[in-house]
Amino acid sequence: MVAFEVPEIDYTRYTNRQLAAVPLAVLAVALLIIAGWYVATGAPVDPGLDFTGGAELRVAVDAPDGQARERIQQTFDPSPATVRQVSNSDTYILTFQTDEVGIAALEEQARAAGFTVESSYSVSASFGSRTQLQALLGVAIAFLGMSALVFLMFRTFVPSIAVVISAFSDIVIPVALMNVLGIELTLGTVAALLMIIGYSVDSDILLNNHILRRSGGFYESTHRAMRTGVTMTLTSLAAMAVMAAVATVFGIQLLASIGLILVFGLATDLMNTYMLNLSLLRWYKYEGVSN
Amino acid sequence: MGVVRENWRIFLLLVILFGSLFALFSPTMAQEGTDAPGLASGGATNLQYGLQLSGGTRIRAPLVGVTAEGVEFDGTQAPEVERDVADQLADVTVADVIVRPQAQGTSTVEVTADGVTPEELGSALDAAGYTYESTREGVTEETRSQTIDILSNKINEAGLSGGTVQQIQTPTGGNFILIEVPDANRQRVVDLVNQRGTVRVDAYYPADGGYEQRTVLEQDDFQSIGNAQQGGEGQLPNVPVVVRESVAPEFQQQMVDTGVASQGGSRCRYGSTPNNTDPCLLLIVDGEVVNSFGMSPGLASGMRSGDWAQDPRFILQTQNFSESREVAINLRAGALPASLDIGPDGEGTSSFIAPSQGAQFRTDSLLTGIIAVFAVAGVVFLRYGEVEVALPMIVTALSEVVILLGFAAGIGYPLDLSVIAGFIAVIGTGVDDLIIIADEVMAEGDVNSRRVFQSRFKKAFWVIGAAAATTIIAMSPLAVLSLGDLQGFAIFTILGVVVGVLLTRPAYGDILRALLTR
Repeated sequence: MVAFEVPEIDYTRYTNRQLAAVPLAVLAVALLIIAGWYVATGAPVDPGLDFTGGAELRVAVDAPDGQARERIQQTFDPSPATVRQVSNSDTYILTFQTDEVGIAALEEQARAAGFTVESSYSVSASFGSRTQLQALLGVAIAFLGMSALVFLMFRTFVPSIAVVISAFSDIVIPVALMNVLGIELTLGTVAALLMIIGYSVDSDILLNNHILRRSGGFYESTHRAMRTGVTMTLTSLAAMAVMAAVATVFGIQLLASIGLILVFGLATDLMNTYMLNLSLLRWYKYEGVSN
Repeated sequence: MGVVRENWRIFLLLVILFGSLFALFSPTMAQEGTDAPGLASGGATNLQYGLQLSGGTRIRAPLVGVTAEGVEFDGTQAPEVERDVADQLADVTVADVIVRPQAQGTSTVEVTADGVTPEELGSALDAAGYTYESTREGVTEETRSQTIDILSNKINEAGLSGGTVQQIQTPTGGNFILIEVPDANRQRVVDLVNQRGTVRVDAYYPADGGYEQRTVLEQDDFQSIGNAQQGGEGQLPNVPVVVRESVAPEFQQQMVDTGVASQGGSRCRYGSTPNNTDPCLLLIVDGEVVNSFGMSPGLASGMRSGDWAQDPRFILQTQNFSESREVAINLRAGALPASLDIGPDGEGTSSFIAPSQGAQFRTDSLLTGIIAVFAVAGVVFLRYGEVEVALPMIVTALSEVVILLGFAAGIGYPLDLSVIAGFIAVIGTGVDDLIIIADEVMAEGDVNSRRVFQSRFKKAFWVIGAAAATTIIAMSPLAVLSLGDLQGFAIFTILGVVVGVLLTRPAYGDILRALLTR
């Protein structure tokens, strides 16, 4: 059987500055995008239906694509904010920004036009803003809890802060990517952001553990940690990429958004762990400890 | 015996695995029929599916109302206080005000009409001359639990089997009522729970040159309520009722006094000419006149002679059968003390999933999970190239999911999309940890002695424990916060991590040792 090997990178060719520069630059760009988004729209990322309030209908329309869209536009008052087709089926997911008319009236309009209502979902605006607050609170608590735990486990500043910065960047970069790609913040993406905290810290802890607690040279430990860590991240990445793709085809939005955001997060984590975290650890090991 | 003692972790895993399979498939473990609340059970397994995977309606909303705490009114009776407060507020009737005595001699006053602010309640109490400590949004715990009981009654009375009503509390102090009804259309559920369901009967009779209206029967005045009747043979659909013996004589007297039970009965024309009619009885639901009717000559003469009170049977007529059913449900379930804040400008959420859609999601998400497992397996096989290492890895990770499924079936936790996402996440973290173990154990040459194996395994376990702890910390806010659908995701991810660390990963260590040190 063909076994792939995690390639050994010759880290001696790069200085700490060079290694850290790339992830830090990406992080800076990501922060800029989020800040710009905040200035332009008043929110760091576009909140979806769960947080703004509104309604979502999933209807089956018995007509070819072009006609179906036209019929959808004619049927609803107010007209839907977005219309999305579920992968070449006759099912469309419609979202409505306001909940003024009420979901019952929208369902009624759909049935009157001969569409089949497969599912419907409505959130009131005040409920949404409350959910938003809770979600923010949840992410903040999770991040602070993780940071506290990391500091408790390593009990030294530099290695701990390296993990925390990597994790921070692992969350921020996917959020910026969401803005760029036009993905809205939903409950599913919040769950994925929390899951990134859980997943991404694994490889950081592994790296720190190998370098700080094991015998053997720095580069040898690094290589061993990388062999395990990269395999781990790649398996998770494969699982999540497949889940995102399959769920998109099936039109299961919750699974699709969790999968997609985790793909972003895990890919970001590869960069952060083996460039940012590693350079901080090398600095700590060779220069930080001696003085 | 030595084999068992050395490999007890594997045997423990096997025992628990069989237990889970038993919980999953054994018919003896099945929940009592499908009337386990809020759930639809599915096919060959004992798994219960939530709304997303079985179809149905879910409504989540707070109750409408404001509350004043610590109200004092020495000596004044509660009904009088309710009247005084209602008089001070526009568009509020006595039925919207609830006075509940609390400990320490004070009371709470709740107003459950829409659009009353805490400040307005405060000034109403001031104007009525009662002192109070504070006013706030929301209603009291008693009102909430009473509402939940009545809502459950209503759903059962309406024949929507398997519906559940429960209270959920958010850590930020919000209180919500969560209603879940499998297989039911949203409109039906909303219509049902949205009605306060106060039913009363008024007499409408001529007096002083005009007409007067007086309440003669209220919700509590009925001894028993029959099933709604279709009517026929010149009779409208109706609900047969028996009036309480204690109330019957008074009601009888009122019928005679107001002229409803006049000689030869009464013919009601309230619907067409309300200013020119015999005395009428009005059936009023939630303040709206549902029907008006007169009295047959036979019943009228029974009332006049006083015989009726000995056998106080009565029928409440309605225009159509569905109204009759509603009246019967409302009378039997009782009136809601407060209504749910749903509707266009309400504070709730509602979702409806067609049963066919739910079934579709069920197979699709299962397929998604299986494909994700294959992806993981593919990467693992490519990386190690050794079936001995990779196969046990996949089998062990899958056994984690089987244990979790067994657990879900055992406690009857309904599976939803978020739980499925949790399972996929569990496979991801599970395999990650098994990779750590495998790499650590096989590092630097062969594992020839048990001691070497043990020390390497212990080292690997430190990392796994640390990683598990961070995952648990990261997911715990979601498990506690009631962020709707995501609770299941968090709970099962955390459970998966715990099962993994305590059970399956040590067992994988044993399996690997058996394979490598033989």
